[in-house]
Amino acid sequence: MSYSKKDEDADQAIFKVDRTSVFQEARLFNTSPISPRKCRILLTKITYLLHTGERFPTSEATSLFFGITKLFQHRDASLRQMVYLVIKELADTAEDVIMVTSSVMKDVAGGGRGAGEQEVYRANAIRALCRIIDGTTVQAIERLLKTAIVDKNPSVSSAALVSAYHLLPTARDVVRRWANETQEAALSGSKSGGFSLGFGSSAASVPQGSGMTQYHAIGLLYQMRSHDRMALVKMVQQFANGTVKNPAAVIMLVRLAAKIADEDPSLRKPMYALLEGWLRHKAEMVNFEAAKAICELRDVTDAEVAPAINVLQLYLTSPRAVAKFTAIRILHNFASIRPSAVNVCNMDIETLLNNSNRSIATFAITTLLKTGNETSVDRLIGKISGLMADITDEFKITIVEAIRTLCLKFPSKQAAMLTFLSGVLRDEGGYEFKKTVVESMFDLIKFVPESREEALAHLCEFIEDCEFTKLAVRILHLLGTEGPKTTQPTKYIRYIYNRVVLENAVVRAAAVTALAKFGVASKEGEKVDPEVKKSVVVLLTRCLDDPDDEVRDRAALNLRLIQQEDGEEVAERFIKNESSFSLPIFEHQLVMYVTGDASTFSQPFDLSSIPIVTRAEADAEDRSFKLRSTTMPTLKAPTSGAPRPSAGPSAAAEAVTSAAAASAKYIQQLAAVPELKPYGPVLKSSREVELTESETEYVVVAVKHIFKEHIVLQFNVKNTLTDTVLEDVSMITTPSDPEGGGVGLEEDFIIPAPKLGNDEEGTIYVAFKRTGEESNYATATFTNVLKFTSKEIDPSTGEPEDQGFEDEYQVEDLELTGGDYVVPNFTGSFGNVWEQVGAAGEEVTETFSLGTGVKGIQEACELLSQTLSLQALEGSDVAVSTSTHNLKLFGKTISGGRVVAEVKMAYSSKTGVALKITVRAEEEGVAALIVGSVA
Amino acid sequence: MSGFFRRIYEYLLSLFWLTEMDITMIGLQNAGKTSLLRVLAGGEFTIDSIPTVGFNMKRVQKGHVTLKCWDLGGQPRFRSMWERYCRGVNAIVFIVDSADTESLPIAQEELHNLLQKPILDGIPLLVLGNKSDLPDKIGVDDLIEAMNLKDITNREVSCYAISAKEETNLDAVLNWLIARAKK
Repeated sequence: MSYSKKDEDADQAIFKVDRTSVFQEARLFNTSPISPRKCRILLTKITYLLHTGERFPTSEATSLFFGITKLFQHRDASLRQMVYLVIKELADTAEDVIMVTSSVMKDVAGGGRGAGEQEVYRANAIRALCRIIDGTTVQAIERLLKTAIVDKNPSVSSAALVSAYHLLPTARDVVRRWANETQEAALSGSKSGGFSLGFGSSAASVPQGSGMTQYHAIGLLYQMRSHDRMALVKMVQQFANGTVKNPAAVIMLVRLAAKIADEDPSLRKPMYALLEGWLRHKAEMVNFEAAKAICELRDVTDAEVAPAINVLQLYLTSPRAVAKFTAIRILHNFASIRPSAVNVCNMDIETLLNNSNRSIATFAITTLLKTGNETSVDRLIGKISGLMADITDEFKITIVEAIRTLCLKFPSKQAAMLTFLSGVLRDEGGYEFKKTVVESMFDLIKFVPESREEALAHLCEFIEDCEFTKLAVRILHLLGTEGPKTTQPTKYIRYIYNRVVLENAVVRAAAVTALAKFGVASKEGEKVDPEVKKSVVVLLTRCLDDPDDEVRDRAALNLRLIQQEDGEEVAERFIKNESSFSLPIFEHQLVMYVTGDASTFSQPFDLSSIPIVTRAEADAEDRSFKLRSTTMPTLKAPTSGAPRPSAGPSAAAEAVTSAAAASAKYIQQLAAVPELKPYGPVLKSSREVELTESETEYVVVAVKHIFKEHIVLQFNVKNTLTDTVLEDVSMITTPSDPEGGGVGLEEDFIIPAPKLGNDEEGTIYVAFKRTGEESNYATATFTNVLKFTSKEIDPSTGEPEDQGFEDEYQVEDLELTGGDYVVPNFTGSFGNVWEQVGAAGEEVTETFSLGTGVKGIQEACELLSQTLSLQALEGSDVAVSTSTHNLKLFGKTISGGRVVAEVKMAYSSKTGVALKITVRAEEEGVAALIVGSVA
Repeated sequence: MSGFFRRIYEYLLSLFWLTEMDITMIGLQNAGKTSLLRVLAGGEFTIDSIPTVGFNMKRVQKGHVTLKCWDLGGQPRFRSMWERYCRGVNAIVFIVDSADTESLPIAQEELHNLLQKPILDGIPLLVLGNKSDLPDKIGVDDLIEAMNLKDITNREVSCYAISAKEETNLDAVLNWLIARAKK
């Protein structure tokens, strides 16, 4: 310890540089004659300061910069290099940096006296030049850079290419004229033999003739053509035939090919063929990148992915740790999406379990946990327990999280996993680790009801000797909510009261609140056992003498609530209430209230405007989030374009969470429309439905908002034409019943969008009143015609012309189905609800065939939970078998009636997916409505 | 090793012999600063030089004197930066296009603005009427009049008519500059 400390001090002694002293020293630049050595040291100090985060104020930076310009009189090559480095760094802060342009250009041009020496710093000059130049002067350096791009010296060529890359945003048109030169540069580097760059090989082998220029050139070509897909395809195909040798450049091509395949399904086949070819490339890094790209292809088939898995499997037995690590990491990510495909590697992965490299071993375990089926879980857990002792907390957390996902996936295996979790809970470990374990147990209790009693027992034992106050408080709270529902609540009361006696004030207060819950709550529908109530009262009375204020206050309040005659209801409300406010909206409203003008302050904050989230709803969201966050690969490949929409089976789960997040967004949007105030709060907002192709002149996206008695259609219209302005944009929406017959909808009003300039988005609201009584869930098909006045923009003035013409634009129809009235919801036990709803409500059964358009059970599952807008339960959203599957769905209508559905599916490649849907609903007519929305 | 000896040699030279001096060349755009400097440094005269963005630095060797010439851009946006490069130099050379009478008032104003700066007091000034080969140029006396050089009192001022293209009077310029090195 003391040694390292000394080292730190020594460090500071070497670099005892501060901004003011450096600035003072900068007088050195103005002396004559110049000493290159001293100046270089001073310049080094400046770069050191800049790189350690020091910022020179503009005035200081400017005078430093002008001081440095004096150094151009000296021809020392290394001094000049340093000068360029510092100029590059100062270019952003100093003023008038354009001043050095002529001098730098002279260096870039090369030739003249001392050309040999000049070669050394030409690359630096180019890089500095692109930083000091502004958009208007780029043309002046165009010729220089063009020749530099095709320069035979690779460092100069690379520097020019990279500079062009940086100039692209400021001077797009100029840079795009350099395409030919860039193309030439991309091909020229190929004469040098590709360097065999493994991940570990040193960077020292890079400089001369490494072909790095190719990498930069391809990067630049991509930037130039990123908007023209056909040009990109041509480019990838042109370079893929082996002309490009540099592995980094090939990786760039791999990523491009993957991106193209992802964006355009028609190009997927040729691109896949290329990717597959790259699996056999002689550089490892290319193999890995290609394998990764194939694994991340959208809806990749087993046949397509097999060669990639094969290659990765070979690398699993590679002697090099880094290759093993990369391979197992890619497999791990892919296993979260498609465990079955990774199964073939299980044998090889198991040998990695004992690898001395802990990162590899951990990935191996978590991968196996994902690929394993129910039967192998026990064996794996046994293996892990042996391993847990000698790995660090971070790895333990990863493993515990994998186990947690597994629990949710295979509820039947909860016993073994619970034993494992309680085992690791007893081990040594830091707060983060214990927190993960405890949270995993929480999830088990929440989502796997059978495990509740045992898990609670383990937690009780844990708090007996828990050094983390935060965790103890959370566990006590959970005991308070879950304990009373168990068969033997008294068992927990002892544990809780022990805390009151032994712990610090924070834990005592939490324990008091938990105790009180036992006093009022019990299993659903039953009265509180008077015996229990009496003992709770006795215990709480003792707490009244507690030395801490908070504890006494809580005890007194709870005693009063429990003892109140006919106080059942009050106690219910205060102690047992499990609903909470929708926190994001609550926060938003509070911020609006606090930051609003003074007049809003005169009224008290209106709490009733905040939607209340019941426990079941919160659980549903929570569960899908957890499943998603742990199963989705956390590290996405850095694609060079926009982030891709995530693929994979969790799309259904994602729909739920994103819907929740979206509805919060819409609530804010809708609140801003005064005409919608009288409708009350929005009960449900659908997902966005695209009514046009995304490349058309006008892009229209619709959202359906359901209110208590109204429906509001929100159309987001985007004008993509550059030379016209749309005014008075409105939507003519005509509802019609698909089965004929009357539509229970009456148009209320339209709020048009006043004006849409180029690339502007506007919103149109069309409101309908549902004319039936409250439970009338009208379904309809809306035909939509966009109506607007279009005005051309005069190119000379940039102003729209006075005279426009009216125009109409037909967009696709919008369906309002039964699913729009249903909100996904969660319940712990599907069987119970199925029976309860079956007894109270009505049942509708129907069979469908989805046709061959839907490929496989998994896709059908996602499709169904999305269109029906129901939550999949008991892990049934993940299809285990590819031929038959049973999907269990649950949700509530906007008025609160429960809807349960069971879907039996069978798949064959000839006929596609056949379904038998049975829907049970509490409200009249809903079941038929839901079934109808599938058709 | 040879580099080491060369350094000693250069050091000795500089001790007894070589003098370095800083010269700043300013003037409105298209007055011929960059062309003049190129010719002074022994280069060819070219008619189609591009406007200087910022500054150029060139060394001119004359006998045992090295002139470090800072040739600054003359476009309006660079004029504010002239002063930075005029501080502490041995001489300021202001170049005027003597065939462009319309711009003379602006040149006059810019020059006087610059010389008002106290930090530049005492620095010798050489005003050159370039392009004396052109037919409609004005003479030295008219130039002195137009530039109002009589008003400049606190420094040495000279005015020559030259032509960078025909290389007339350039020796006089160099000699004048070298004479200032002794001070």
